[in-house]
Amino acid sequence: MSKKIDEQTKKNLAILKEANKRSTIKRMKKYRGFYVMFLPVFVLALIFHYIPMIGNIYAFTDYKGIAGMKVNWVGLENFAKMFSMAAFHSAFWNTLFLSIIKLILNTGAAVIISLFLNEMVNIHFKKITQTIIYLPHFMSWVVTASVFTLILSPTSEGMVNTLLLKAGLIDKGIYFLAEDTWWKPMFFVINLWKDTGWGTIIFLATLSGISPDIYEAASIDGAGRFQKMRYITMPALQNTIITVLILNLAKVMNLFESVFVLQNDAVLSTSNVLQTYVYYQTFNSGTIPNYGYTTAVGLTKSIVGCILVLVCNWASKKVRDGRGIV
Amino acid sequence: MKKKVLSTILALTMTASVLTACGSSDSASTDTAEQTEETTEAAEETAEEATEEEATEETAEETAEEATEEEATEETAEATDVEKPEKITMMVDGTLVTQENGRDEFEAAWEALTGIDLEINQPDHDAYYDQVGQVMASGELPDVILLDSTRYTSYATMGVLADITDIYEGSDLQAKVSAAGNDALIEGIKIDGKLYGFTPTRGNGCVTYVKKAWLDNLGLEAPTTYEEYTAMLEAFTTGDPDGNGVDGDTYGVSAAGFIGGEAPYINYLPEFYQDAYPGFYQKDDGTWADGFTEDAMKEALQRIADANAAGIIDPETLTNGTSDCRNKFYEDKFGVFTYWAGTWATNLKTNLEANGLDGELVALEPIAEVGNYIERIAPVWCITSACQNVEGVYKYFIETMLDGADVQMLWQYGVEGVHWSTAAEEVCGNTYAEGEFHMLENLEKEGTQYTKNHLDPNLVLSPLDNDPGQDAIAEEAKSAAELFSANSVVADLPITTDAMQQYNGDLTTLKNELVANVAQGKITVDEAYEQFESQGGAEWSQAIVDSLNQ
Repeated sequence: MSKKIDEQTKKNLAILKEANKRSTIKRMKKYRGFYVMFLPVFVLALIFHYIPMIGNIYAFTDYKGIAGMKVNWVGLENFAKMFSMAAFHSAFWNTLFLSIIKLILNTGAAVIISLFLNEMVNIHFKKITQTIIYLPHFMSWVVTASVFTLILSPTSEGMVNTLLLKAGLIDKGIYFLAEDTWWKPMFFVINLWKDTGWGTIIFLATLSGISPDIYEAASIDGAGRFQKMRYITMPALQNTIITVLILNLAKVMNLFESVFVLQNDAVLSTSNVLQTYVYYQTFNSGTIPNYGYTTAVGLTKSIVGCILVLVCNWASKKVRDGRGIV
Repeated sequence: MKKKVLSTILALTMTASVLTACGSSDSASTDTAEQTEETTEAAEETAEEATEEEATEETAEETAEEATEEEATEETAEATDVEKPEKITMMVDGTLVTQENGRDEFEAAWEALTGIDLEINQPDHDAYYDQVGQVMASGELPDVILLDSTRYTSYATMGVLADITDIYEGSDLQAKVSAAGNDALIEGIKIDGKLYGFTPTRGNGCVTYVKKAWLDNLGLEAPTTYEEYTAMLEAFTTGDPDGNGVDGDTYGVSAAGFIGGEAPYINYLPEFYQDAYPGFYQKDDGTWADGFTEDAMKEALQRIADANAAGIIDPETLTNGTSDCRNKFYEDKFGVFTYWAGTWATNLKTNLEANGLDGELVALEPIAEVGNYIERIAPVWCITSACQNVEGVYKYFIETMLDGADVQMLWQYGVEGVHWSTAAEEVCGNTYAEGEFHMLENLEKEGTQYTKNHLDPNLVLSPLDNDPGQDAIAEEAKSAAELFSANSVVADLPITTDAMQQYNGDLTTLKNELVANVAQGKITVDEAYEQFESQGGAEWSQAIVDSLNQ
């Protein structure tokens, strides 16, 4: 009896599979226009994102970056070296620390500024404020670093030190960008200045989507400004905040430019991140670099990034009623 | 339906354009593809040959000796019978006039003089070695390429560059270089007795310039010892050398970092480093050592830390770039600047004068403790292993670069009417008579004149037969160049080993970090060397030294 049922089930499954297959082909035929539209994206992704991944194979070799030269397999030697290097470990943890704190601070500041902007009654003033806080986002990191190096200069030309000296808070200029204790706070402040304004866009978009009727009803019920913010605005923003945090968490390993332009030899142990570590391995070697090793570091970075995306997806499903990000 | 058709057409067009963009290239693409195959083959052949050579070393040596004798005989017979290349591909950095500065005119003039089609690949100057790395990885090698000394030795060791020892020996070019007394410079770039490229100029280096007005204002003489040097810096820092009525608003010396980013590392602060060298160098007995581990380096670090603590070095040295230093020098913020000899002496002077300051500079002879300035090894023009006609490229490209006549003129000063002229005219406020040689206004930087093309007239290994530009070279540039030439030693050629590839990235980063921390007073010299030991620096250093001495 059970055998019969099994056979019947197998038959049913096969029929179902066949039907699905046919329906997939049918669907593809029906929506062929969309598939054709997708083609350029697919080709681009294939050429520029997937084919280059083949290069990851160099992580297991002693590749010297010369075409035609014999490449020797070294197995996991590059990875063994990487994990034995103190500089790699410090770069790894610096990457996570700088990125995650930056993410939390930037998102938090963007939310607060969005709330303030949302409360502004004078539209003209609101727009001017928005424009001013968006502008730093369009400055290159090189220019930003030059400006802040000048502002934070330890000499009498540094605006911050001059103010502190005049206020009697210090008796000697602080070299903010060359002292381990100051570098990280300065990095976060500069990042806040540059990117917070831009980060407010998504939150302002969410805020503008909240129906005024809800605020009106709350007012009738006697709610004040703060109560409206706490019980209407914040809950409405919650989902966006989580989405922004989760989406950006997946990119935390990609930290280079902002760090590179602000760091110097005196703060390397504090500021070196994985991408700058690879850079110095490449350009400080005084010879043709060990590309196999730098590829191994890059591959490790990508794997960690990938794991973070999966963790984010899992977290997203947990907090967003089963909706993931991938 | 119409929408569907339209979207389909648009999508197909986009796909086609993407594929076309990816596949498109200039007319050279076919050649390049062929060249890639040839390069791969050539590299494989080189590798095979190397293995065979190892296996039958003695036989090979004998064969080589015989071959050399045969070649020598053949060479005499074929000296004038070198096949002229139809086309030469070259890769060069921004030291040649750029596209915006009349490179096309240079190319046309060179082609007219030689009758050879020249294809120039000139990436952005700052990204040049990124591009070189990509070219090497892709296998699309040009016939000739300009490389710095580090890459020259590395790529030569890896078999990417053609051995031109035999071609150079006995050539007209060698005779000219010998006649100018510059044989030692070419000998200095030989690797295991073999020559893989040619440097048409000296490498130049940095000399220490002192503002004469500052010395005069404080009644000081140019220093000749370290004690006098630091006393001068102190006077510049605490006194009023710029005469603005305020004491202590200036600094003695500034630099772009306490240690240079590339060899010879110490050239921006030579008075503090003196006989110390933080990199690998070859001792008189021929063995290699890491100068960072020696006592001289410890003493140098102490001098830097003391000077920085005393405030006689610009407090922003750590975060300065070279342009920051130049600007501060022009703004009269400090008085001693160790910078490039030659034409830079003129640039510094004119920029100071442009700011309404006294531009007179004293180029210091090395103080007693320094002994000599260090001359870097000049960038090397190399023929790659992909080149199918090495002798032809040597004869018509490299050798003509110093022909003493029209081609050298092109490399040195550029094209007449574009970069230089002898017409009676006014250029950038300077008036020139008919027949007087002068450089023209820079096409990119209005208000400034060109000073040279790729070859610096002050530094060429063999001068033009009748150099019309000699009179146009400013006196201060000439004297700074002469002072440097008379008081400099050439840096050692960097050698590549597997151990260096493995460890030198981490080692250099660690050294730089320790130097900066000692200079800033964060740690003492002893603590720095304890960290050097505990963080693996000593071990990596020894591994590299051992590999160099093998």
